[in-house]
Amino acid sequence: MFSSPGSVSLPDHVEENPPMSDMLRAPAEAKYADELDWLESIDDGPKPFSWRLSPKMVRLFILGSERADGLDREIAQKWFGDRSFVERAVVTLASDRGLLLIGDPGTGKSWLAELLAAAISRNSTLVVQGTAGTTEDHIKYSWNVSMVIAKGQSRASMIPSPIMTAMEGGVIGRFEELTRSTSDVQDALISILSEKYVSIPELDEDNIVFAKPGFSIIATANSRDRGVNDLSSALKRRFNFIRIPVVTNRKSEAEIVRFRTEELLRRHNIELEVPPSLLDVLLQSFADLRAASAAATSDDERLESALSTAEQIGVLEDAILHSTFFGSRELTAEALAGSLVGSLARRSPEDLAILNKYWHGVVEPRSQDDGGEWNGFLEGGRQAIATLS
Amino acid sequence: MTSPFAGLRAQLLGAAEALATGPAALPEILSGIVDDVDHMFREPLEIFPVCHHSPASALAMVRRLREKQPKVIYLELCEDLGPLLTELRNCRLPVALQAFASELEGFAKEEAPLSVIAPITEASAEYQAIAYALETPGVELVLVDRSTDHVFQWQSAEAPVPEDDADAEPEDDLHGDAVGVEIGDLRPRFAELEEHLLHHGRVRHWSEWWDQYVEQPLAHADHDTYRQVMVLIGSLFRRLTPAGTRRLATDEDRERYMWTRIREHLAAGGADRAECLYICGAFHAASRVPEAGSEPSAPDFEITPRTATTWLYGLIPSSHSAIEAQFGLAPGSVSIAAATWQKSITRSRLTPFALEGQKGGKKRVRKSLPAPVTGGEPVVDQLTGYLTGPAALGGLDEEELRGWCVDIVRLARRNGYLASTADAIAVFETSILLAGMRGRARPTPYDFQDAAVTCIEKDAVPGRRDVSRLCEILLGGDRIGQVGYAALPPLAREVYDRLAPLGLNLEYRTIQRALLDIAARPELAACSQLLWMLRYLLPDNAVRPIMGSRRLGEKHIQESWDLDLGRHQRTIIELGYEGVTVEQVLEQRLRRAAWDPKATAATALKAVEHSLLFLSSPRLTDELGGRAVELLAAERGVDEAPAVLRRIRRLLAHYRSTTPALPAWCERFVTAGYAHYCTLLPTAFVEEETGVRQVGAMLGFLFSMESLALSLGCDRTQLELAVRQCHPESAAKIALLWAARHQLGVLPLAELRERVDELLGNPLVVPAVPQYVSGFVQALEAVPRLVPFVVETLSKAFARLPDPVLLPWLPVLITTLKSQAAELVPVLTREAGRTFPGSLAALDTWTAPWTARPKSAVATSRPSSGAAGVLLAEHPATTEAVAALLRCAGEWSVAGGDAEGPAPVGLLTEHPETAEAVAALIGG
Repeated sequence: MFSSPGSVSLPDHVEENPPMSDMLRAPAEAKYADELDWLESIDDGPKPFSWRLSPKMVRLFILGSERADGLDREIAQKWFGDRSFVERAVVTLASDRGLLLIGDPGTGKSWLAELLAAAISRNSTLVVQGTAGTTEDHIKYSWNVSMVIAKGQSRASMIPSPIMTAMEGGVIGRFEELTRSTSDVQDALISILSEKYVSIPELDEDNIVFAKPGFSIIATANSRDRGVNDLSSALKRRFNFIRIPVVTNRKSEAEIVRFRTEELLRRHNIELEVPPSLLDVLLQSFADLRAASAAATSDDERLESALSTAEQIGVLEDAILHSTFFGSRELTAEALAGSLVGSLARRSPEDLAILNKYWHGVVEPRSQDDGGEWNGFLEGGRQAIATLS
Repeated sequence: MTSPFAGLRAQLLGAAEALATGPAALPEILSGIVDDVDHMFREPLEIFPVCHHSPASALAMVRRLREKQPKVIYLELCEDLGPLLTELRNCRLPVALQAFASELEGFAKEEAPLSVIAPITEASAEYQAIAYALETPGVELVLVDRSTDHVFQWQSAEAPVPEDDADAEPEDDLHGDAVGVEIGDLRPRFAELEEHLLHHGRVRHWSEWWDQYVEQPLAHADHDTYRQVMVLIGSLFRRLTPAGTRRLATDEDRERYMWTRIREHLAAGGADRAECLYICGAFHAASRVPEAGSEPSAPDFEITPRTATTWLYGLIPSSHSAIEAQFGLAPGSVSIAAATWQKSITRSRLTPFALEGQKGGKKRVRKSLPAPVTGGEPVVDQLTGYLTGPAALGGLDEEELRGWCVDIVRLARRNGYLASTADAIAVFETSILLAGMRGRARPTPYDFQDAAVTCIEKDAVPGRRDVSRLCEILLGGDRIGQVGYAALPPLAREVYDRLAPLGLNLEYRTIQRALLDIAARPELAACSQLLWMLRYLLPDNAVRPIMGSRRLGEKHIQESWDLDLGRHQRTIIELGYEGVTVEQVLEQRLRRAAWDPKATAATALKAVEHSLLFLSSPRLTDELGGRAVELLAAERGVDEAPAVLRRIRRLLAHYRSTTPALPAWCERFVTAGYAHYCTLLPTAFVEEETGVRQVGAMLGFLFSMESLALSLGCDRTQLELAVRQCHPESAAKIALLWAARHQLGVLPLAELRERVDELLGNPLVVPAVPQYVSGFVQALEAVPRLVPFVVETLSKAFARLPDPVLLPWLPVLITTLKSQAAELVPVLTREAGRTFPGSLAALDTWTAPWTARPKSAVATSRPSSGAAGVLLAEHPATTEAVAALLRCAGEWSVAGGDAEGPAPVGLLTEHPETAEAVAALIGG
C-alpha cells in the first residue's frame, strides 16, 4: 500500500509489515497474529470503543487460556504476574485515564504494554521513547521543512508524532520511560490526556486533531529513576499507576525464564538443551543475591544490578550464545557462572567483592553439600572472578 | 427409604463418568458428598453447620433459633471455657476467651506459659447461640469440645510456631503467643486445592472466594438450603483432605469427643433430641466416624483425664485484625464480614440476639420470641439448584458504591493523597468495569479496593497508610474489643481502682498524660508508687515516665507519665493470672529473678534495690540480700565485679543515711566480698580473659570497703598477701598493681612517677605506655588519691607520646571514658580544673605543678620553727619512736637560722616606731 509522506491515514501494519522471518524481533501483533485473529473471531463480549477484543479476551490473550475456559485452541501465557495487574491495566485503558506502569528495570513493563496495545488495537508500534533529548515535537507533530518551503504549511507537510497518529486512529499510543524526558515535555501530555485533542496553531483551518474513541496512552517508568524528572501532580492525576513488582516467586520466575529462553533459541535457530538443574542453579543464585541485597545496609554492599528476571534471562542468553558459538554446543554450569559474573560485575571493586564473598560464602558450601551442577558453577565463577580481578 | 438426593447423586455419577480421564476416586468423592448430606439429615439430633466469621451462618442461626427455640444447645467450644461466657456481657466485642497456665504439671516445663484463646465476634453464629441460650430462661448451653488441657495434650511437638511478623501493627499483637481455637474452621486442607479454587474463581484470596460463592448465595437462603450447602462444602473439603495427616486425626478425635459428651449429656439429663441443637463447624457436620451420632448404641470415645496443670480463665480484648493475623485470614476480611452482617440484619429486619447489657452494641428492645414453628416437612433436595445455578448475586447497590467512592477520596485526602472528586468518579467507573471483567454483576468490596488502589495510589505513599489499608478502614475498619471492669481479674480491677485518683479514663485507647503533683496532693504518692511498679512489670510502652525517676534516696514532688493502659489491657489481665495484687506479683518476679539458675550476685543486688524502691518489705529485702551473699560466695568469675561494686555502694549509702545500723546481710556481704575478692585477685590479675575494668572494680571493692570490712573482723594482711601474689603480665594490669601497691603504702608516689618517666623515656616501651595509662585510669575508682597523678600522667602522655602511638589509642580512651562516664569523668575533670589554668592568658605563664615541684617540696618540708620545734628538737625520743612505728626514716635538720628569728621580727625590733604608733592608735 502506498502512502504519501505525511499522510494521516493509519498505516495498516499487518499488511505493511515485512514477513516475520525478515524481522529480527517481530512486534507482538505480528508474532501472535494467528492467535489474535482467532480470538477476534470467537469474541462475543462487549467491546469498548473501537477495541478489537473485549476486555476478557485481552486478559485471556495475555495470561493464556486454561482448560476451564473451554476454548478449542490453547492460548499460551505471555506475561507472568499477578492476574489483578492485567485486569486493572485493561480496565484503566477502558476508562478515561492513561496507564502508567512503574517498576524496577526488567520486570516486564514494556512487554506488558506491548501486549496490551497489540491485543486492544493490533498496533504496538506507536511508541515514543522518552530520553533526555525528547522534545514536544516528538509528542505532538513536526514539519517536513522542505515541503513547507515548497508548498507552505499544511496538513500534508506536517509530520504527526506516534501519539498523534494514535489519536487519529483511536488506538493505543505508548510512551516508554516517561520519567527520562524533561518535565516540560511530560506536561505536553496533560492536555492530550484531558482535552483529548491537539491544536495546530500554525494552520488556519483544519487545525485541531481530535482523538477518536479508543485512544489511550500506556506509559512506562522506571522506579529507579525516581527523582530525576518527577511527574507533576497534574500529570500524575491523569494516569493510573500500576506498580509491577520484581517476580520473586520461584515457580513463575522459572516459567518466565523458560518461556523467554525458548523464544530466543527459536530466534537464533539454536538446538540446545537447557537442563532443569542448571535453571535451578540460576534461580537459586539470583534468589540468594536478592536476599543479600535486601539485607545490605549501604549501596556499596549491594550489587548495582536490580537482579530482575530480565537480568536472569540475559545471563542465560549470554551463556547459551557463548556455549553455542565458542563452546562445546552444550550449556555447562561453568559457562553459566562465567556469564553471571560477567553480567553482574559492573563496578570494580565493589561488585566483584560482593560476588567473591557470595561465591566463597554460599556457593562453596552448597557445592560441598549438594554437589551436582554447583561444583561446576563454583569452578566457573572462581575463574571468572579471577579473570576480572 | 429413598433418599431425596437420589437424582442429584445419579447426575453427579454421570458427570464423573463423562470425565472418564479423571482420577479413579472421582465417583466416590462425588457420590460421597451427597451421601454425607443425606447422612446428616438422618441424624435425629439437629446438626447446625457453621463457618467462622460468616455473616450468612449468623443470619441462618438467628432465623433457626427463632423458629425452633431449642432447649439444649451443644456448642463446639472447649468445655472448660463455659463459666466465662456470662462475663461476655460486661465486654465490648470482639474479645477472646482465654485459658492460661504458667505452672505446668504433665507438660514440658519450658513450654510455659500455655495459653489458649477463642475469639468471639458479634457477627458470628456462636455469639448468637450464646446470647440466645443465656438470655432465654430454661435453655441449657453445653460446651462439648475437648478441654484446653486436651488441646495441648493432643498438640504434636512439631506443630508450627506462629511466626513473628516484624511490621505487624500493634493491634495485630493483641493475642500474644496464645494458641487460637475457633468454631467452624472451614478451609481447603491442602494448598493446591485452595490455589485451584482461587484461580478458577478469579479471586485473590480465600475470604473473597467464600464471600462470592457461598456467603452471598446463602445470605437469604432458607434453613434447609443453608444446611445442605454447608455440609456439602464441609464434606467436599473433608473428602479432599490428605489422609493420615495429624490434623485430620485430631479433628476426628474431637468429633468422637464431642459426640461422646453429647451422648453423656443426653443420657444424664434425658433431654428430647428433637429439642436440641448441635452447633459445629461444617467440616465436623460431615463426620462419618463410627462414634458420631446421638444413638446411645454408638461406641464411646475414651476421654483421657486432664493433667494436673492448674488452668486460669479470663477474657482478653481482641480485635478484627488480631483475629485475621492469628488465623491467617486476608487483612480486612473479618471487618468486611462484620459490615456485611450489619447490612444484612438491617435489610432482613431480623432482630439478632444479644446479651443483656452488652457494651458497644445498639440498645435493643427485648421482645418475646414468637411461638416456635414445628417442622416436619420432608427433606427436599436444594443442592441441585445451588450447584447448577450461577452464583446469585444481589443487584448493584449503586448508592452504597457511590458512598464508598466519596468516602475513600475523603479519607485518602486526609491521609495526604492528592485525591479529588474526579478520582471518586474514576473509582466508581473502574469498580464496575473490574467487576464486569471478573464476571460479577456487582462490585464486591474487593473489586472496590482494587479500583481505589488503581485510581488513587501513585508512585509513593504520602502518609502512614496506603490506599488498600484505607479501604479496609472504610469498609468497617478494625474493631477492638474491651473487657469490662466486672469481667476483669482482681489484680486488674485493683490497678484501675488505685489509679482512679488520677482522674483519667484509662479505658481510652490513646496515650494519656498523667500529671502528679505529689507535693500539693499527697494522696497521689500511692499512684506514683503503683505506676513505678507497673513500669517494672509491664512492657516498655504501657506506662512511661516523662518526668521523674525512681532511685534510692530520691523523692519527687512532681512526676508526669504517659499511660497507655487501654492498649495493654491484655498484659494487665495476664498479670492477674500471676497473683491477686500487684505487690504480690512483683514479689514473685523479684524472687524469681534472684533464684533463677542463671542469677548472679549483681542480679540479686538489683532485685534488692528494686525491693527497696517498690516494696517496703524488710523481710523480702533481707531474703534477697541473703541470696546475694550466697551467690557472691559461689561465684567463680569476676565479670560482674563492676556492677556488684556500683550496687553495693549505692545500697550501703542508702542504709547509712536511713537506718541506724547496717542490716546483717550487708555486713555479711562486705566480709564475704572482701574475702572472696582477695582470694580471686591473684588469678584475676594474671588471667587474660579478665578485663582491666573488672580488676579495677575488685580493687575498688577491697579498698573502699576496707574500713568497714576491718571493723567487721577482716584481716588486712589477707589483702597485703593477695597483692603480693599478683604478677600481672599485661601493661594495664601492671599499672593497676602499682596503684594498688601505692594505696597500700608500699610504693611511694615519687617512685611511681619515676617509673612512668622511665617508660616514657625508653623508646622500646613507648608503644606500651598508653596501656599503662589505661590501667591508671581504671585505678581512679580504687585509689582516689591517685587522681592528681593520673591527670599528670595523662598530660605527660599527651605531651610526649609520638603521634603514631598516641592517635590510635585516643579512640580507646574516649570510649572507655564514655562507657564509664559516671564514675571516671567527674573525678578527672574536677582534678584537671584544679591543675590547669582557667583562662587563655594564664596559660602563657603556667608551668605544670609537677615540673615546678622539687623546689617547693624543699620549702614545705622544712620543719616549723618556734616553740614546738624547739621542744621536739630538745626531746627527740617521742618523735623518733613514732617515726620508727610509721617506718619513716628521717634525719633531724639543723635549724640554722632559727636563733636569729625570722626576718620580719628583726625588722620590727630595729624600727620600733611604726609598731608603737599602731599600739597607741588601738589603745594598747
